[in-house]
Amino acid sequence: MSQGITFTVYTDNEGIERIFPFDIIPRIITGVEWEHVEKGIKQRLTALNLFLKDVYNDQQIIKDNIVPAALVATCPHFTREVFGIQVPYDIYVHIAGIDLIRGDNGKFYILEDNLRTPSGVSYMLENREVTKRIFPDLLAQNKVRMINNYPLILHDNLIALAPRQIENPVVVLLTPGVFNSAYFEHTFLARQMGIQLVEGRDLLVDNQKVYMKTTAGLQQVDVIYRRVDDEFLDPLVFRSDSALGVPGLMSAYRKGNVAIVNALGNGVADDKAVYAYVPEMIRYYLNEEPILSNVPTYQMKNEEERQYTFENMTNMVIKETNQSGGYGMVMGNSSTKEQLEKAKTAILANPRNFIAQPIIHLSTVPCLLDGKLQPRHVDLRPYALCGPKGIEIVPGGLTRVALREGSLVVNSSQGGGSKDTWVVD
Amino acid sequence: MLSRIADSLYWLHRYMERADGMLRLLKTSYILSLDKVQTSGLTWEPSLKIFTSLSAEEIEVLKMNDSASLQYLVANTDNHNSLKVIITRARENARGVQDQITKEVWEQVNHIYHLVNDPFLTEKLAGPEAISVIDLLINSSDQFCGITDSTMPRGQGWNYMNLGKYTERCLLTVEFTHSFFKKVDFDFAKEQDILFWRSLLLALSGYELHLKNYSNQNHNYNVAQQVLFDRHFPRSLYYALGRAQKYLSEITASNPVEGTTALNRSFGRLHSYVHFSDLSIVEETGLEKFLLFIRKEMTEFNRIFAQIYFSYS
Repeated sequence: MSQGITFTVYTDNEGIERIFPFDIIPRIITGVEWEHVEKGIKQRLTALNLFLKDVYNDQQIIKDNIVPAALVATCPHFTREVFGIQVPYDIYVHIAGIDLIRGDNGKFYILEDNLRTPSGVSYMLENREVTKRIFPDLLAQNKVRMINNYPLILHDNLIALAPRQIENPVVVLLTPGVFNSAYFEHTFLARQMGIQLVEGRDLLVDNQKVYMKTTAGLQQVDVIYRRVDDEFLDPLVFRSDSALGVPGLMSAYRKGNVAIVNALGNGVADDKAVYAYVPEMIRYYLNEEPILSNVPTYQMKNEEERQYTFENMTNMVIKETNQSGGYGMVMGNSSTKEQLEKAKTAILANPRNFIAQPIIHLSTVPCLLDGKLQPRHVDLRPYALCGPKGIEIVPGGLTRVALREGSLVVNSSQGGGSKDTWVVD
Repeated sequence: MLSRIADSLYWLHRYMERADGMLRLLKTSYILSLDKVQTSGLTWEPSLKIFTSLSAEEIEVLKMNDSASLQYLVANTDNHNSLKVIITRARENARGVQDQITKEVWEQVNHIYHLVNDPFLTEKLAGPEAISVIDLLINSSDQFCGITDSTMPRGQGWNYMNLGKYTERCLLTVEFTHSFFKKVDFDFAKEQDILFWRSLLLALSGYELHLKNYSNQNHNYNVAQQVLFDRHFPRSLYYALGRAQKYLSEITASNPVEGTTALNRSFGRLHSYVHFSDLSIVEETGLEKFLLFIRKEMTEFNRIFAQIYFSYS
């Protein structure tokens, strides 16, 4: 019963649209625990925003030798094209999905930051809608905190970014189109916010302003919530073979005639090798101690750490720094000798491209599988929204479940599911 | 409204209307094919002529084989106008505008899409289930019309959808009429019995209306009168053009861009020509010439309309 509930509600067409399994038992987080997580994420995001502003402007943090220049310069997502661009309110990360895990000591760790175009928020919202139907009275009795104002907060934030001072700024959601795996989410969010869902071919740039082609002629666009990756956004600046973007978009962005959410070039801050320096960033920019700690991370370009990793390979997980979604990952405890040897060769060939982390025994929560309650490993992705009025985090977030027994990989592309997350007072 | 959205809504309804017209013609042809008294050898020929791009010789061969004809028209994707292709295109258009149509409409399009993609479709069409498959499809198509009518907001999108629907209906009526009257050389005086005309009338869902309205034996004349000028018959040229005119004027009134005045004038001319004509005028001009003129004008109108409102890529 708990499996196979689909959130691509509309269809069972195999292939393009994927079914995302849902477990009916909600994951509970107490109010006190949540306050801690919330504070930690706010602190982290404040520092990351300052880092992005710094790294694309004065680069003080590099001059002060906190973050090595070589690390930033070799990051594939460090985008020289956005150097010096002023973004509204100095906000770079408008929407962030921070992945948290809980170790066997009950402590929350930050696993990774997703600062480009984090997805999955529609599942969080839809999961709650399903739970409301299954346990209507439980939700009310337990004072579960509300999450469904997410689209409203996001919409307010988007409107606030409009460069033109007009009553009804035009906000659009730019999608790569129907073949994107997250297309369901794009339509869902556009519907919930009442904004236009556009594709690259609906937009054009004229005189450094962005317009959409409507039946009544051209209409100027003020804010673009884009779900298209940086390198596809403007074929004139980035990949010239991209049909998903809008030629000239960067010129309008640079001129400040259009706001783009999230800002371009954020990939430098959620790079898995830069991740190790985030606690230092917090100390540097905010003069505070990090509230949520990182998972210990070993840089493969660092000889000593690499040696240590190779000696303890079976307790490590090796990750490629520029990959996400659980791709390019080697779990030391479940890989064969050949796989480990292959990983070693790959690391030696390009050490900058890899990091290693000790395998953390993720906490488990009960799940209803095959009619029985069984423990499964989970992580947590809360969604944070940064607007001119500050950072807001919707209580809860998406809990992803590794459905296979013993598995530690929760990514939906790798056989993960999800459950509703209750923050209970 | 985005040009891309308007374009997709317009074509969603054109394709759905085409599928609807096709299904009705198929059902009539199929039932007719069961009666071995084949009136004037007219079973699959009109369908094959209208909905395939086969050559005359290929049609001659295929039209004698009932199940092969049905297969080719419904399930063969080599045929660019087969039902499967038409429905797939309709769904593609709907999928790109999911946030602009209601969930109910989208689910219905999807439902029909799954019906034509049934893995056993080919088998079913070859066997005794064929008629129930066609019936189910016609029923689903009717439901699509009902669901659209009862859930879609009456905004800009509605106007584009309906313009698409009635444009397609005009063209279908012209095509159907043309292919049936060709058999009598477009001659009103030529003898032809009502059984022959029944196929055309059933394909246009107008047989019962015909029986109610006409009691004399002048069949050719009566049928032409009904399919071209009957103002109460929803598939007559007169009715479809009138509806198209209504939705076009709503679109041009709310989006007065360059070229709309000329567009309004040219469609108005066509509409008035049919509106103020009768069969005597058609007899003077010749039915075939009349039908071809309407088709040419509609195609031209379509081209200019798309240029003004849909030029986005």
